[in-house]
Amino acid sequence: MPPDAPLLRLEGVTKNFGKLEVLRSIDLEVTPGEVVCIIGPSGSGKSTLLRCVNQLEPTTAGKVYLEGEEITACKEREADVIRRRIGMVFQQFNLFPHKRARETGPLAPETVLGRRSAEADERGRALLERVGLSDKVDEYPERLSGGQQQRVAIARALAMDPHVMLFDEVTSALDPELVKEVLDVMRELAAEGMTMLVVTHEMGFARDVASRVVFMDEGVIVEEGPPAEVLGNPREERTKRFLGLVLAH
Amino acid sequence: MDVVVKQYFDFPFMWEHSGVVLAGFWITVQLSLWAGAFSLIWGLILALLRSLPGRWAKPVRAITIAYIDVFRGIPLLIIILLVGGSLAFISVLPRWLRIPEFFGYPEVFWYGVMAITITYGAYFAEVYRAGIDAVPRGQIEASRSLGMGRWATMRFVTLPQAIRKVLPPFLNDYTALMKDTSLVSVLGLPEAVRVGRELQSEYFNASGLILGALLFLLFTLPLARLVDRQIKKQNIRFQRAP
Repeated sequence: MPPDAPLLRLEGVTKNFGKLEVLRSIDLEVTPGEVVCIIGPSGSGKSTLLRCVNQLEPTTAGKVYLEGEEITACKEREADVIRRRIGMVFQQFNLFPHKRARETGPLAPETVLGRRSAEADERGRALLERVGLSDKVDEYPERLSGGQQQRVAIARALAMDPHVMLFDEVTSALDPELVKEVLDVMRELAAEGMTMLVVTHEMGFARDVASRVVFMDEGVIVEEGPPAEVLGNPREERTKRFLGLVLAH
Repeated sequence: MDVVVKQYFDFPFMWEHSGVVLAGFWITVQLSLWAGAFSLIWGLILALLRSLPGRWAKPVRAITIAYIDVFRGIPLLIIILLVGGSLAFISVLPRWLRIPEFFGYPEVFWYGVMAITITYGAYFAEVYRAGIDAVPRGQIEASRSLGMGRWATMRFVTLPQAIRKVLPPFLNDYTALMKDTSLVSVLGLPEAVRVGRELQSEYFNASGLILGALLFLLFTLPLARLVDRQIKKQNIRFQRAP
């Protein structure tokens, strides 16, 4: 694969829920190392788009390629294999309540990659240290704050050594004072060159970290470009209106 | 009044016959353990068959649902009579199945285990299913997003949580199963109830049956308390959840 080839390519991705058109023929490319922030009003289809990338939500039409491989054409088992390279972090954390922090990361590497448990354990602990939770390795999720849970969730996704990370409004369920600790981890990841697709309402994060901002509304990409342009000087009326509402408070 | 006490609570009589009643109850305990274990396994298999995805598995799901509905709707006593009274005559079956004699237990013991497993497997399948359905969708999505397949997700994420959630109903059903082992007495298995009944018809005294009942309570009462404790624990946990 040539170095500037897209790591992720979406071609005409369409998603209908019954008669409701949530995504209308979305085209999007993400090159390695890029951080793409997707913004837009609720119901605009941004989360659905993210979930179509790793096929948690099967697409109605269109194609999704990861590193040249079409995940949309795959059988379920093949899609499972491609998904190993796509990490995902959720709004509601979705940590496994029956696993301690240190058991959470190694679970997938051990079961699907067949990694030895000592090795997976060591890597899991290193990742928890990286997200600043080396003192919480023995805790169950119910004993962790929202911010801590979300950082464990990031470590869990990283344990599979993904080539791209999807973040689905990962700070929306957090108390305001806990948002920063999660965003800081994401900033570090971005600085280390992780390819990231981030659905977010954190405009500050998008401005500072994104290589590109995508504004979505009603299932289409309305506008995309560098953060300074899209956030600072938007061309489209809809973008202006949305930013006016978001940045007003 | 004395007559009543003498008929039901004749302690010297109980003491005198405690040996046979205890021996009978020991068979009850073993029967409920074997049947309980098999029912748990069979119920899990049924629940997994019922949750198989996709179109090709539709007939499997339909058959499983039919099985569960039918055997929950038939009295266990009939199943016991169908298995215990007739299995031995189905000559097409292998001998080990027609006249099972594993681990030194008589064949009526195994007929009881089979009949209880057939019925309680159906009950337990429903309990498993309730637990599986109660695991939030986000858990499955998180697991799948890590590249874990359907089976790995079921095995490592869904089932461990499901079983924790349904521990109280499992214990309830297990209590019912233990009591229902008494139905196997119709096959002549000398378990607690059978022994008590034989004493009753020989001596015209029901104290042997009462002793059997007391022995049952020795097991079922702590189980009931355990269920309560478990439910309370889960409620606390639920209240703390975000």
